[in-house]
Amino acid sequence: MTLIYALLVGIVMGGLIQRVGASSPRMILASLRLQNLTIIKFMATTIAVGAVLVYLLSLWIPMHFDIKPTYVVGVGVGGLIFGAGFALAGYCPGTCVVGAAEGRRDAMVALLGGVVGALVFTLVYTGIESWLIKPLNFGKITLADLFHLPAMVVAVGLAAVFLTGVSLLPTDRTKPAG
Amino acid sequence: MTHASTSVPITTERTALNPQRWALLGVLFGLLSAAAIALYGPIGVSGTYPRFIGSILRRVAPAYAASNPYLVKMGSLITPETMLVVGLLIGGFLAARLGRAPSAPAAEAVHAFETTPGRRYLTAFLGGVLILFGARLAGGCTSGHIISGITQLSVSGILFGAAVFGGGILTARLINPVRGGR
Repeated sequence: MTLIYALLVGIVMGGLIQRVGASSPRMILASLRLQNLTIIKFMATTIAVGAVLVYLLSLWIPMHFDIKPTYVVGVGVGGLIFGAGFALAGYCPGTCVVGAAEGRRDAMVALLGGVVGALVFTLVYTGIESWLIKPLNFGKITLADLFHLPAMVVAVGLAAVFLTGVSLLPTDRTKPAG
Repeated sequence: MTHASTSVPITTERTALNPQRWALLGVLFGLLSAAAIALYGPIGVSGTYPRFIGSILRRVAPAYAASNPYLVKMGSLITPETMLVVGLLIGGFLAARLGRAPSAPAAEAVHAFETTPGRRYLTAFLGGVLILFGARLAGGCTSGHIISGITQLSVSGILFGAAVFGGGILTARLINPVRGGR
């Protein structure tokens, strides 16, 4: 049943990514050049709605939370490498799958590059684990743990910060306002 | 913009989206990511790549696959995450064809030096290598770390998101300085 749920979530997610334009490298680069923030605002809205909803729902029903560990060096360095690749290709590991399904050949090439990148990581994992993944590992921590506050309070605070940013920042800086 | 090769046209016009459409789509995506956590677990994508490699190596080089600690750690390809990636293919395909929007360009140039499809494919390939290497090092990608991670208020998601946008904005500047207006 879990596999069916995931398939359905993937279908809707693929549709949303395609419709918002996140599978267009031009839209990704417009965001990274801070010219058109549509994709960043879309993501911030997604997170704000999701955060409040999951912690609200968790008050009544058991939720399948799965927090990733904060190993500062690997997550930070991995993020920087990811960011460089994101700016080069204009794709992330999910949007190149959506783009390939749309018929974008550069997305298919990025997908192939992704398989090669994952293969390289698989081959070097044993050599880098001790100095990139093991040090400074603070475990599965959340902002609620850091601030010693109820998760619901932090979720509302984070959503307020994100939505304030979304409403104050211009979407398209090449136009006067909006 | 010059096109040295015409076999695959590369487009440079900006994709348009109705104002505020992104807000509605963002709310829907938020409902979807919360529904996933309620039903089975947070959305994620990038772990599927090494699991795919593992599924092939277990057939062609079973002894090596069994001895590689990362492939053992990532495990079988039969996971919800793999099904989500299959769903992305179906959803992306359907959304691209059910609308009135023009079909997606084969190759979309995003950097000034991408004057031919070959150059565009080269940057797409290199970028693809880096995003998966970086995602596997960090333990997640845009969906697993940024969307699902920050939704769950995880510190790792916020750290990853800051590094991605920091590194991405810097790289975009370095390889293609902004020229007035574009």
